[in-house]
Formats: sequence, C-alpha cells, structure tokens
Amino acid sequence: MIQSIRDFFRGFLLLELLQGLALTGSYLFRRKLTVRYPEEKAPLSPRFRGLHALRRYPNGEERCIGCKLCEAVCPAQAITIETAQREDGTRRTTRYDIDMTKCIYCGFCEESCPVDSIVETAIYEYHGETRGDLHYTKEMLLAVGDRYEESIARDRAKDSAYR
Amino acid sequence: MSAMLKLEVDGREVEVPPGSTVMDAATQLGIFVPHFCYHKKLSIAANCRMCLVHVEKAPKPLPACATPATEGMKVWTQSAQAKQAQNGVMELLLINHPLDCPICDQGGECQLQDIAVGYGASESRYTEPKRVVMHKSMGALISAEEMTRCIHCTRCVRFGQEIAGVMELGMIGRGEHSEIVAFVGKSVDSELSGNMIDICPVGALTSKPFRYSARTWELSRRKSVAPHDSLGSNLIVQSKGSTVMRVVPLENEDLNECWISDRDRFSYEGLNAPDRLTQPMIRQGGTLKEVDWQTALEHAAKLLSDVRDQHGAAALGLLASPQSTLEELHLAQQLMRGLGSENIDFRLRQRDFSADGKRSGIPWLGMKVADIGRLDRVLIIGSYLRKDHPLLANRFRQAAKRNQEVNLVHVASDDPLIKLKTKLVVAPSDLPAALSRIVAAVAELKKLPRPAGITNLAIDEPSRAIAGSLVSGGSTAIFLGSTAEQHPEAARLHALAQEIALLCGAKVGFFGTAANSVGGYLANCVPGGAKGLNARAMLEAPRKAYVLLNLEPELDCHDPAAAMRAVKSADCVVALSSFRTRATEYAQVLLPVAPFTETSGSFVNTEGIRQSFNAVVKPLGEARPAWKVLRVLANNLGIPGFDFDSSESVRDVACRTADIPARLDNGISGIDLATAAGANQPASNALERIADVPIYFADAIVRRAESLQQTKDSREPRATMSPATAAKLGLSSGDSVRVRQGDGEAVVVLNLDEELPQNCVRLATAHPACSGLGPMFGEVSVERAG
Amino acid sequence: MLNAQSLKIIDKAVAKYPPDQKQSAVMAALAVAQDEKGWLSPEVMDFVASYLDMPPVAVYEVATFYGMYNLSPVGKYKLCLCTNLPCALSGAVEAAEHLKKKLGVDFNETTADGRFTLKEGECFGACGDAPVMLVNNKRMESFMTPESLDKLLAELK
Repeated sequence: MIQSIRDFFRGFLLLELLQGLALTGSYLFRRKLTVRYPEEKAPLSPRFRGLHALRRYPNGEERCIGCKLCEAVCPAQAITIETAQREDGTRRTTRYDIDMTKCIYCGFCEESCPVDSIVETAIYEYHGETRGDLHYTKEMLLAVGDRYEESIARDRAKDSAYR
Repeated sequence: MSAMLKLEVDGREVEVPPGSTVMDAATQLGIFVPHFCYHKKLSIAANCRMCLVHVEKAPKPLPACATPATEGMKVWTQSAQAKQAQNGVMELLLINHPLDCPICDQGGECQLQDIAVGYGASESRYTEPKRVVMHKSMGALISAEEMTRCIHCTRCVRFGQEIAGVMELGMIGRGEHSEIVAFVGKSVDSELSGNMIDICPVGALTSKPFRYSARTWELSRRKSVAPHDSLGSNLIVQSKGSTVMRVVPLENEDLNECWISDRDRFSYEGLNAPDRLTQPMIRQGGTLKEVDWQTALEHAAKLLSDVRDQHGAAALGLLASPQSTLEELHLAQQLMRGLGSENIDFRLRQRDFSADGKRSGIPWLGMKVADIGRLDRVLIIGSYLRKDHPLLANRFRQAAKRNQEVNLVHVASDDPLIKLKTKLVVAPSDLPAALSRIVAAVAELKKLPRPAGITNLAIDEPSRAIAGSLVSGGSTAIFLGSTAEQHPEAARLHALAQEIALLCGAKVGFFGTAANSVGGYLANCVPGGAKGLNARAMLEAPRKAYVLLNLEPELDCHDPAAAMRAVKSADCVVALSSFRTRATEYAQVLLPVAPFTETSGSFVNTEGIRQSFNAVVKPLGEARPAWKVLRVLANNLGIPGFDFDSSESVRDVACRTADIPARLDNGISGIDLATAAGANQPASNALERIADVPIYFADAIVRRAESLQQTKDSREPRATMSPATAAKLGLSSGDSVRVRQGDGEAVVVLNLDEELPQNCVRLATAHPACSGLGPMFGEVSVERAG
Repeated sequence: MLNAQSLKIIDKAVAKYPPDQKQSAVMAALAVAQDEKGWLSPEVMDFVASYLDMPPVAVYEVATFYGMYNLSPVGKYKLCLCTNLPCALSGAVEAAEHLKKKLGVDFNETTADGRFTLKEGECFGACGDAPVMLVNNKRMESFMTPESLDKLLAELK
C-alpha cells in the first residue's frame, strides 16, 4: 500500500527524469573526453596496429629477407610473397603484396618478422577509392616505411622494454 | 639364423635379429631417437652424438646408432640421463650453427631445426663469435653457399663413398676447423649427387636450381613416376600454383629405395623451358600460325585422311617416343591401325629388328629389381650403366660390395664405379664375337657341347675369366644394356646371351632403354602383320605422312640424318610435342601435349610393374594431355572405339596388371649364332663409331633442364679414340676434328682414351652438335678440321 | 712427379699392407712426398692418391688432419712449438715470444730469408721434456730456454 503511494508521487513529480537530467547536467562541467577529429586526434599507443610498412636499414638496404614467415602466419592470407636470389646472392622478395581489404590488422606479421621488416605503423588515415587501391605492393610498402621511418623507429623504441 | 635378441626399450620389450643396434630396436618400436649422422642406408659414423641414450649398467650414455643390441639390455631414451646428454649435444651443435633459419632454404624441413625445438634451450649461453666457413663451389646442382651451417655429420661424404661409388666430398681439418670440401678445384659430378641435398640434415647442401624460390610449407605435393629411365623411380613432385618447383624421391624399397638420380630430380626445369609449345599450330601457305584446337585437329584429320586416300594407308607411319605414357602409346597405335596402317613403332634407337616375331614375349629385366642384390654372378653386356640406369647401377654397386661378381662386356671404357670382376672392352663390330667366345668358354668349363654356330672359335683369356666367374656362383644373370639393344646385331647378342644363360643356368634380362620400353610392347605400339614397317624401315623408306609422338627425330632416332630426311620429305607431319622442336621446320600440324607432370598416365617399368600417376599441375597454356588429343583426333577421323572418358579407362583397355607377367619373356629362337665372316666388319682402314646417349640428352625434357645442361656430363660432345688410332691418323688430343658419316659431319674436339678399342671413334648421339650424323654404329671418317 | 728414390720408399710402405689396402700407406707416402717436395701441393696429393688408388679428397682429408703436413710452402727449417698446457706452464709462451722476437715473425709466418717458419703445434707427447719444439718434423728440442734456442738457431743457420 505504502509502496504504491510512493511510486505514484515519484511518477507524478517526474523525479526520475530530474535524476537523469542531473547526471546529464553534471557532465556539462566535467573535463571533455571527446576530441574534435580531424582537428584534434586521440593519443595512440606505440603498439597501435595501422597501415603496414616495409622498413630499411639505415644504409638503405631493405630489411626483408623473404623468409615468408609473415605470409605463413597471416590468418587472413592477405600477404603474397615471391622470392628469388638477388645478384649478390641474398634472398630477396620479388613481390610483396598485402591486400588491405583482407587484412584484419592482427599484427601477427609484425610479430613473426625476424628482422623487424614488416611493421604496422600508427597510420590509420588512408583510403582507397577502388578496391585495387588497397592492394599494397612492395614499392608502396617500402615508400610508407621510408616516409614514416622516424615515427616507426620511435614507437619500436618505446615498446622495446616490454618485449 | 641364430636366435632373436630380446631387449627392453623405454620399458617395452622388443625382439631384434642379432647384429641390430639399439637404434634399430627403437625404430621397430616406433620410438624416435633424435639423430643427425645416422641414416639407414649409410654406414654408422656415430659422430653427431645426438642419439645418446641411457643403457642399464653403462656408466655413460651410449649412442643408440652404434651400440649393438644385446640380450636382456635395458634402454631408456627419455630418462633424465638420456635427456641431459641429448640436450648437451644439442647445445654443442648450436654453438657454431648460425641462427639464420629465416633465410635458410632448409628452414621448415630441417632436422636440426625440428630437433632443436624439442631438445634445444630457448636461449644460447654462448656469447663468443661463431665460426665462419667459406662457401664452396660444388657444381651446378648443389649449392654449398653456407657451409657455416654444417654440423659435420659426414652423411654427404659417406653417401659419396658408399652409394654414389665415388668419394667427391671429404672432411678436411679437425675439430672446430673441420670443413666439408671437394678436392681442390673439383666439383661434384656424380649422377646421384642430388641425394646429398636430401640427406643433409641442415641447410649446408641445398638445391641450386630451387634456391630461394619457395619455402617448403607453401608447396603442394603429388606422387608421380620418373619418366627418364626404365626403373620408374617414385617421385614426389612439389608445386606452387601451376608451376613445378622441385622433385624429391618417394621412398619405394622395391625400386628406387630412398634415392633418385639427378636426372629425375632436376629435369623439372625443362617443364617450364621457354620453348614450351602452348598453342596448336598449323602450316598454311608455308608459314606456321597459331590456331585453336578445333581447327588444328580438323586440319590434322583432313591431312592424314587425304594422304591415306591418295597414297594408301601404308603411306602413313607412327613414331612414338618410349617416354610416352602407356595410354598415349595405346591410343596412338589404335589411331594408326584405325587408319589402316601397321607402320607403328616406339623403339626409335633400335637398329636391328630381326628378333621381331622370334621372341617368346616382351623383353624385360627378367626379375624384380630388388632381386638384383641377391644374384651371385652377373654379366652385363653393352651398358653405360651409370649414365643409363643410375639407380640400377647402385644395386649392382651394393651387391658387388658383398660378394656379387660383376662382369662387364662393353664397347666403351666408362668406369661404372662398381667393383668389377672382369671388364672387357671390344669394338661394337666385335661384340657378337666376344660373346661367342664367352659362350664357347662356358661350354668348355661346363663340359657341354658348343651350340651350333659357335664351332671354331679360339677362347681368349678374358672370356675364360668371365666364364669362370659365371659358372662359379649359385644364382647368375646375364643383362643386356642399351648398347646391346641399339647394336646393329641386337638379335644375335640377345640369342648369344641366351646361350650363355642356358649353359650356366642363368636368367637373361634387359635393362630397358626408356620409361616405357616394356609398356610400348604391352600397348602393342609395334609394327603388326607382314607389311608393318618398324622404326628403321619407316625412315629408310620414307612415308608420305608421319605422326610423331613426343619425339625429336634428329635427337631421338638411331639414325638422325635419315630421320630428318624422312620427315622433311613427307607431305604431312603431325607432331604431338610439348616443345617447339625442330618440327617447326617441317611439321604441318603441331599439337601441344602435356608432359608427365601435367597429364595422368602410366609407365610400365623394366620389371613389369605398371605405375600410374596423376597430373601434378594443370597443363601450360593450351597444352592438353596427349591421350585426350589422340581421342579427339580419332573421333574427327571417324575411327570407332575411342569413347574413353578417363586415362584409367584407356589404361585398363591397354593392359591389365594381372596380364603383364604372362606376357614378359626374354626367350628368343631362330637366330643364327654364327658370325658370318667379314659381316659387319668395316673395311680395314675405316673407323667404327661408338655412340652413347649422354645422360642429360636422353629425352626432350632433360635436354631443356637448364642446370643439368651446365653439368660436366652435358659438355659439348668430343670424339674419343685410342692413342694408337689417333697416331695412325696423325691426330693428337685437343685437335679439332671433322667427323663424317654419310652426308653428315660434325666438328668436335678430339680426346684420347687408352682403353677404347682400336679403329673406333666414340662420339655421342642425341646431341644437337651430332644430329647431322648417321647411325649410332657404323663407318665414320675423321680428319683434322680447318 | 716424385723421384725414384721416394717411390721406392713408398713402395716399401705399401708392401707392409695387404694388396687391397694400399691406402693404409697414405701417411707414409705423404711424409715421403713432403720430404722430397718440401710441401704438399694439390698436384702432389693428387699423385699420391692415384698412386695408392684413393680418391684425391681422401688424401686431402689426411693431409689436413695432421699438423706435420705442410699444405703451403715453408722455410728451410720448420719450427713447430708446442703451446699446449704442460708446455705452456713450463715456459713455452716465453720461448715463443723469444723466437718471435728473434726471428721477427709471428706464428705461421716465414722469415724473409726463407730460412725459418714458425708454427704452433699440438701436444707432441713429450710433456716430461716440456717445453718442447719439433724441428722439421724430425728433431725434437727438449727443455727449451732462450739460451738453448739461441744455440739452436745459430746451429741451423
């Protein structure tokens, strides 16, 4: 009996609504968590797994030795590699393709790489206007690596203590 | 047979015959003991120490591979002591082994890698620099670029000594400075060398042609059968996409054991040769142009039926290569018979067909391949054994090490790398006489009358020695090799071999010249009736039209010059070929057919085993399996009986497995044994040719295998003669000489060989440089060139 | 390749073994060949191999295994100094230093006049006489001291 009267007044006086509004209102004065993308950007972990890149050594030599471990480990089978012996007798890729439409950004390729050649950069702002645009070839991946080497190296250095 | 030994391995009882090792006992129980240097086909070295096991009452762990099993022995392979020993050895081996698995071609199929996962530590305690071993040059087939990886198991060295029969690799230095090398400036030239790649437990010896082209886990594997010799070695063909990447052996203890020859292993490179024929072609207005299959087949059918209508069916001829499958040979002969012609043959390098109709069955090995090892006495007649039959040679090599006595009568001095009892080198024209002398010597020893025709012959010392060897053993066999089959008096050699066999209670066997030398007979791909022309007659009396199956007449026939004359003068040549051969010069229709990796089919090997295989990859371009091409061609010609929907149905019509044994028989009768005086003896001053088929020119596929073509065996052919013969002609070693035979000639470098018979010139056939010359045997003249 | 005198000695060594075990004489044959030629060139090893019906690489294995075979030309006197533990403890290191200074060469080097080659040897089995040195594989020099070495070098001049 008492309970039903209490419920009646609670409904009649819109108490629940006010409670909700009070919560909403309280956020008006708190620190904002949202960022105004693209003017503002959220900070990224050095482990962020974005666009792939193929790295080079400081002397300009490509790191990749064509061991195909990334191809073997890739759960989405997004990587296609062909290898051959280069003139200097080393094993090198003649083809290194990643199909970004297949890739699930799991980072296994990066984990498996014995020479830290294939990496996932912090870049997530890239697009393609056709499906083919997202089919990255060796040249494209090396170009990504060349362009962002500094940040790639910085991220690896930051994360190295935990590996 | 003494009593079996009872022992206990890991708590399980096992019985092994005396002389077994602990390793054998463990293997019998299915217990894996890690090992590197141990190999079941090689001698025991016990130098890797990986197989250390714990043996009761032994103070220290013992190597399982070298410890004889004894009665009541108790062995633990997984005890703390064994484990500790194995882990210790693993750590020792990894001290100097580079951790470069990602770039190592062996990665993924490496015994060291596998065993390191189970027995190695996760981290090395060794911080000192690793040793570095310089790379070595071992020829075109084996890559020894990373000898730092070698763990000195010496399997390759033992393989050379024991299986290949020639020690080409050795281990120099000692301790940490040990290295595997070939002698200064030498390469590895054995025809079995590729097996060293297989037995190397690490990535020190790897395949040069395969190097860095794929990783083991991305290859798909299919069983197949080797098409290059009559043994029918079992293969695993590994492919990636639609390309064959490499070939490795499939173990078959009855045939190839766990080996294959380099020819079987590396010939796959020829499958993707740049001159593969990938589109049907027809000649119109004198030029070849590419057309679709329907046009090409209709054109071929029209040309063939036109020739038949104008000149009669006898104007048609079929020449099929003995490397073709049973199905192809069957359909080809059926097609030709459907057209009404009996001019059918697959024995392209044979000269003497007088045995046709006098044989009691199909010539074959006369026994199982595995039985070769059980023979006591052997006589081999006319065989380049190592080059023609690399793995059969190995059977004899192993048997000769026990107590088989191998006697060789041949026309050339090539060392078979077998411990020979007697070796007799005679001129080809003298071969029948030499055999007759052996017949006489055996008759004399056995105190039996000489067979008719062998009456007045002086027995010489070598014949007596061979006869003495042959009559002294329990089981004896006489084998006829390729040279004996290609000899101008092949039938008589066969009959003489049979006489020797009859006198000393031996078996007669043929090694067989090609993958289907038995299958060709089974498929009835031989001339029939009284009018049917054989391979020789078809070329000497040129036909108006030829159907060529998988062959290059200028390289695959006994008389290349006559063959080329015949096909060039024909009105119509329909060539079914995998390659753009010289058929582009003369053929009216070129039909691209699939080589053995792209078609299903069967080979019947020399011991009469029918082995079928499936396609490994899909045919290249527009090429199609030849059995399908022949079926459609026959349908276009309106020949009945070609309603096959699978190669298996063709195969079962061609021959059933159960029927084969009854059709095999090496008996021969009605051949006159007597040497007609002066017959086959060239004029006193003339030179006699001795032709061999170089191992890597034997068929169209190997001729195009790039790496094999860079080996020592593929060097430009040389004319070889004895120093005395050369002196008579005023020639010396290294001279450039012109060899003339009939209208053809070849300019080659002269070599001297003291063992070669007088007045003979050895010059290979089947090589483009010699394709202008005539028959493999017969008169030639030699003069200084230029 | 080898002179008649050498071949005679080799034949004598071969005769000690059964006829089908000719290769047993390989060490003796190599020693004889080295005495005549001074060192074992590939040609000499090839000759020994064919003389004893052995694969050339098997001869090479033996020649590289033992330290007393010279695979490159050496000086007139090859001084092979043991540096294994007993000798090292008894003064071999000092002796080596002395020789190096005196001759002006390091291990595995030959003096400019072609007279001496200094080599490091493994244990000669004479640890009781340590430190020891072997001269031209034939003469053992025991209890080396700088003085005895000076005397030896003067003698070998």
